[in-house]
Amino acid sequence: MPKLKINGKDVEVPAGATIIQAYKASGQDICHYCWHPGLSVAGVCRLCMVQVEGIPKLQIACNTEAKDGMVVNNNSEMVKETVKWGLDFHLINHPLDCPICDQAGECGLQDQYMQFGAYDPEMAEQKVKKSKVVDLGPTVVLDSERCILCSRCTRFCDEVTKTSELGIFNRGDHSEIGIVEGKPLNNNYTLNTVDICPVGALTSKDFRFRQRVWYLKEADSICPGCSTGCNVKVHYNEEGLWRVKPRVNPDVNGHWMCDVGRNTYKYVNIKNRLLAGKVGRRDSWMEMSPNDATRTAGMRLKDVVDKHGPESVALVLTGQYTNEEYKDLLVYFVTGLKLKNIFHWVNNPEKLNDFDGLLFRGDRNPNTKGLEAALKLAGSKGRWEDLQAGLNGKKIKAVVVAGPEDQSVYPDMNEKVALFAQADNLVWFTACPSDALNGSGAETWQIPVKTHAEKAGTFTNFQGKEQKFPLATTIVPQALTLSEAAEVLAGKELNWALRPKSLGGAKNNYATTERGAL
Amino acid sequence: MQQTKLLSEHYDKPEFQNLDGYKKHGGYAVLAKALKMDPKAIIEEVKASGLRGRGGAGFPTGTKWSFLPANGEPRYLLCNADEGEPGTFKDRLMMERAPHQLIEGMIISAFAIGSKKSYIYIRGEYDYSIACVRKAIDEAYKAGLLGKNILGSGFDHDMDVYAGAGAYICGEETGMISSIEGLKGQPKLKPPFPAVQGYLRKPTIVNNVETLAAVKYIIRDGAAAYRKYGTEKSPGTKLFSVSGNVTKPGNIEVPLGISLKDMIEMCGGLKPGRKLKAVIPGGSSAPVLTADEAMKATMDYECLAQMGSMLGSGAVIIIDDSNSMVDLLDVIMHFYHHESCGQCTPCREGTGWLSKIVHRILKGDGEPKDIDLIKKVSEQMMGKTICALSDAAAMPAISFVTKFRGEFEQHLQKARTTSGGVAHA
Repeated sequence: MPKLKINGKDVEVPAGATIIQAYKASGQDICHYCWHPGLSVAGVCRLCMVQVEGIPKLQIACNTEAKDGMVVNNNSEMVKETVKWGLDFHLINHPLDCPICDQAGECGLQDQYMQFGAYDPEMAEQKVKKSKVVDLGPTVVLDSERCILCSRCTRFCDEVTKTSELGIFNRGDHSEIGIVEGKPLNNNYTLNTVDICPVGALTSKDFRFRQRVWYLKEADSICPGCSTGCNVKVHYNEEGLWRVKPRVNPDVNGHWMCDVGRNTYKYVNIKNRLLAGKVGRRDSWMEMSPNDATRTAGMRLKDVVDKHGPESVALVLTGQYTNEEYKDLLVYFVTGLKLKNIFHWVNNPEKLNDFDGLLFRGDRNPNTKGLEAALKLAGSKGRWEDLQAGLNGKKIKAVVVAGPEDQSVYPDMNEKVALFAQADNLVWFTACPSDALNGSGAETWQIPVKTHAEKAGTFTNFQGKEQKFPLATTIVPQALTLSEAAEVLAGKELNWALRPKSLGGAKNNYATTERGAL
Repeated sequence: MQQTKLLSEHYDKPEFQNLDGYKKHGGYAVLAKALKMDPKAIIEEVKASGLRGRGGAGFPTGTKWSFLPANGEPRYLLCNADEGEPGTFKDRLMMERAPHQLIEGMIISAFAIGSKKSYIYIRGEYDYSIACVRKAIDEAYKAGLLGKNILGSGFDHDMDVYAGAGAYICGEETGMISSIEGLKGQPKLKPPFPAVQGYLRKPTIVNNVETLAAVKYIIRDGAAAYRKYGTEKSPGTKLFSVSGNVTKPGNIEVPLGISLKDMIEMCGGLKPGRKLKAVIPGGSSAPVLTADEAMKATMDYECLAQMGSMLGSGAVIIIDDSNSMVDLLDVIMHFYHHESCGQCTPCREGTGWLSKIVHRILKGDGEPKDIDLIKKVSEQMMGKTICALSDAAAMPAISFVTKFRGEFEQHLQKARTTSGGVAHA
């Protein structure tokens, strides 16, 4: 383990580490664009210059191995001057369109200019003109003038996805990122290029021009898109969620997440949500508060159990809820109602073990492992054939379903609604109900619940790793978590004063609408 | 003063191009001798000769070879025949007049470093050179001088030509390696250096045409004989490409260390009535010498380095008083702007910036602060990039505006008094 001095501070780094990693480890600032911890070293932006004692020329920190006893600094006048000029070289042909640039507010060039540059510009020449709108594929747009040619995006496509759609065409100050005609940037990880782009050259078609980023708040979360459980940040304001970005976790997702996961913010928003409880059947529905709907459902379930015994009620769970919710719900149904008919609804079981080799898994539930553990603990032996037989033989009089949140990953939705509606009573907890439910012939309770972004909890990913996440925001304040639902079903009152409130103004969020062309 | 024709002795004989003619003048006899030697002894001989790379950097060849790892890993020998430095045209002559001389030198060098495969990377514009070298390689294969078991020695070697596509940057050794690998011709980040990880990530030696050809003569006559030419630190002869305002421009072979004054005279001197203004002694990237400096200069690595310039590839550009230095710098800056590969920011942006400023001055739109700005920009481009192209652009810029500042200032003054462009003397 080499020990070295970074700006006077002693640091110890693993053997083979570079000076830039030593800077990061020591918590000190170093200006850089092309270096990214998840990619190979390009050494082209020439900004991470450091002075190493005993070497006359300045060295780039990203490609210089940290050796024992090295004395390194980047705060001498010589380095400062070099970095200042390095920034100037980056900016002489960079357009001054910050006010309309999507990256403004989270731009490496802006931030580093404030920190390391702040000089009087001397460039008086005409800037190089390049294409402002280049359609790279279904998800990403390029503004070539803003590009500083750090090559992070091309390296990402070469090294991470190994699809190599992007390349640098031309040379000198006419170099431009581009694609080969007819081969668009179209894989499941394209939006990572937008994340790692240090400037506003690559922007997401889904997000651009929708929000000024400094008005958005962010919270840690876990992606509910599949069983990998990528660590993410959700960006939101009072109108709802606007985007999802990856959060570094070397054990789970490294620096990246997939494009499918990035779309998981959409169903959370108000336009797709069930806002009030709906009780009735077919074309006759009555709206009531989620609390009232749950309470009446709880009374009905108790009646059925009293009349026909606990075998007459079935509980169907999907792998889309938190470990805490499973526990609370099962406590009520297993110890309260003495239920034995508890079932795990597995969507497309034949794809369950699919894996794209990077992050995306065929099991499109974030918490299959957690549900399996909870069911095991509850002693459930529910076999799907038993449920089917019980429903066909009219032995099961009431079915309680929890989930899924995301309809799109449950291709058997309509089929299952028809199956469950064979019972006399159907209680369905969901954030975004299926349309098929409105045609249910059973007496049906549609009860809104909270999505993953609106509650704290734990998902257990495919590795068995329990990942806690906090509540990010509240979009439908009246909706219940399954833990709350369990209490209400049991006839208890919720403590309304303690429940999270909405940020206010949950209006129509345009982020839920699909966007077409540029 | 006469030329000292060691390498170019038979260049005037058309038959020297062919295998038979080449053999008549002792061709491939040195190869036969070398193949009987211990490879280590060849390297030692080259080291002892003090031969320095003739491509531009002047790095000692034997030392470069000894950087190769000692294990049995496959290694490559690449001949750099990209000859892109403006003003240089010696490699072309060598490949067109004596392709076998290069091939023989390469096989000897390959044997010394234990390489079984070599490529000659020839710049794309050199159609005729490519044809000559290809033909010579074919002849050599047919005569058993290439391929398996060369001359019964048990040494196998294959050789191929790789034609470039016209990029200056592919003359930089790692840019050339990228190009041969089929990638965009861009220099690679160092370390690792090519001797450790070069072509296909294997140990690789890159040498200039003239360097490899000279190896033959070092083995033929011995290091001591070679050292009789030239100076202590710059031994041997060198081909110089003399161009510009001399009456007889062309390639000449002379011992290193002759005076620049003699060299100009060997090339017929200046045109009548003209005065020497400046000399670029080592290709367009070498800092320019004023007439006074040029008269004191000797053509060897150490004297020119001492004068703040360099011998480079041996491209001597003679400039008389009919030229405008602003005009010349504009051409040079345009060249480097056009040829920057665009990887490293200081070079990508700096070359364009310099070119624009100089062009503006030339057009008569210059401002007094521009001269200092050229210097400041150039200084920040030096030693800051992966390869030396950035320095190659910055060095002439700094030397031109420093040594001929008056001429640039005059241009600015004229610019303010005339409306259009500036007429040159």
